[in-house]
Amino acid sequence: MILVFAVIGCKKDETKKEDKYAFVVPANFPAPVYTFENNPVTEAGFKLGKKLFFDPILSVDNTVSCNNCHNQSLAFADLSLHPFSKGVEERQGIRNAPQLVNLAFMKEFFWDGGVTHLDFVPLNAIESEFEMDEEIGHVIEKLNADPEYPALFEQAFGSSKVTTPLMLHALAQFTTMMVSNNSPYDKYLRGEAALSEHELEGLHLFEQKCQSCHAGILFTDESYRNNGIDTAFTDLGRARITAFDGDIGKFRVPSLRNVAITPPYMHNAKFASLEAVLDHYINGIKPSPSLDASLKNGIPMTPSEKTAIISFLKTLTDKDFTQDERFFRE
Amino acid sequence: MKKILFLSTLFLSIALLSACKKDDDSKETFGTLALEFDNVVGDKDLNMVESTSSDFKYKNGLDQDFNVSLLGYYITQIKLEGPNGETFADPVTTGANATDVKGIYQILESDINSQVVNLSNVPSGKYNKVTFTLGIPAEIVQEGATGGVLDPAEGAWLWNWDAGYIGMAFEGRSPASPVAETQWNPENSVQIHIGGWKDIQDNPNMVNNVKTITLDFGTNVNVGEKYNPSAHINMDLLEVIAGHHATADFTVTNQVHNPAGGHDFAENLHAAFEVDHVHQ
Repeated sequence: MILVFAVIGCKKDETKKEDKYAFVVPANFPAPVYTFENNPVTEAGFKLGKKLFFDPILSVDNTVSCNNCHNQSLAFADLSLHPFSKGVEERQGIRNAPQLVNLAFMKEFFWDGGVTHLDFVPLNAIESEFEMDEEIGHVIEKLNADPEYPALFEQAFGSSKVTTPLMLHALAQFTTMMVSNNSPYDKYLRGEAALSEHELEGLHLFEQKCQSCHAGILFTDESYRNNGIDTAFTDLGRARITAFDGDIGKFRVPSLRNVAITPPYMHNAKFASLEAVLDHYINGIKPSPSLDASLKNGIPMTPSEKTAIISFLKTLTDKDFTQDERFFRE
Repeated sequence: MKKILFLSTLFLSIALLSACKKDDDSKETFGTLALEFDNVVGDKDLNMVESTSSDFKYKNGLDQDFNVSLLGYYITQIKLEGPNGETFADPVTTGANATDVKGIYQILESDINSQVVNLSNVPSGKYNKVTFTLGIPAEIVQEGATGGVLDPAEGAWLWNWDAGYIGMAFEGRSPASPVAETQWNPENSVQIHIGGWKDIQDNPNMVNNVKTITLDFGTNVNVGEKYNPSAHINMDLLEVIAGHHATADFTVTNQVHNPAGGHDFAENLHAAFEVDHVHQ
């Protein structure tokens, strides 16, 4: 025990010396996709992004902020009370708000993958009539007229004139830093902590039954698949972007990091618990033309295998991330 | 922050060669060339009206009356070529600050200044061909948030749900269009927005409407210190909405707001542009 504390003590000292606001790629992560060469993270930019993230000024009636649907204690997912996001005037969205984790490593965003660069992600939420329902031009006007923002943009970017790209860069500086790599599973991989036998059994089963889609250290292969939630789809999913009938009902394979704290599950919030999700894969798959070939016969799991997999999935909850004070509202 | 985006290997090697030449021969000189864009509708000049106007001067390919209240397009990655191997590539740079954004032009019928693209630092010589990209291609979109003509708060046409820019936008009214008045549109609205830039290998149905357009000047244009040449390029809206590949029936095709919907009109785009004349 003394040794362990000593090791932790050393680490803490080391991190103190480091720049808390530098973007660091975890050793076992792929290279980031985000264009940091155009927008390097700085303390001033990160803090400006954070202020924007928590500020309802982005919405049409100044009532809804990013934080409303992206809550740090839930790995920046929405409350389970809100299976669909609540926008201005209590308007309800059509999809479940995802967690915001490891975004700098992702090629595409949203359940349908319509957005291909993290910078553009907030525009969708700002302009969607059931989210913030605001015009981007008006947001920029409000920020320029605000008593605080112009000086903060000056500090972050050397320009007191607020513009769309600078606002989006500030938000991206905040959201790219949302790196989750300190779950018990990560600590197990690094040899810093052990998983229980039950969790290890779950990991082994996960590798056999789940990993072909929830692949790699990010726990997603970033593909779009129809996982048999319905026989017909009012929300076209990926086909909304590709206009290809074969993509109807396909949605992005979500990362499973922090999955235990981000219910409900699926784009339409159909399942309230991980048990319900696994039951779906065991015997709930519904047929439709674009159903993923790997799911046609379901994924067989015994009850004990199911509980083992769930105990493994819980090791992906990263409390260092959900309690990281850099992200706290100031 | 600034990034030179468009330098194909060919142009890069030529640029390097010219750089070498420069060292050897201090006499290398440069000039300018102006590209002036003039929008027309068939044989008529294009004159815009208010979005609620019922003054219909034009007819589409199906004899349906219409007018125009908004028209514009993005041009970038401009190259010049000459009969003796002369080449010039207008540098394209992006960045969050408007001053970092170069080589990307939004040609707007409503803004006469936007209709002239002044190319500078063109190596002296003869040029007989111009090539440009119509629309904003992947390599620019994927640089992320960009200022100037690509800033949506400054009038850039950015789709948020399928993030990317509209390459060409036409809006007006036609009595043939059954569209009812909404908070955004007047009655009988016609809006054709041609966008979409994605090519995805395993999904052949993903629509990329960004086009490369090459036009002959029909003559050799001299560029150099003593010259002030300009090329007048006509863009015929009728070729876009009633061209060889597709013709719009405003009774059914009146609100085009996604890549797939714009595909057939994008196929018409090349024929919509031609060099009308050049001034030496």
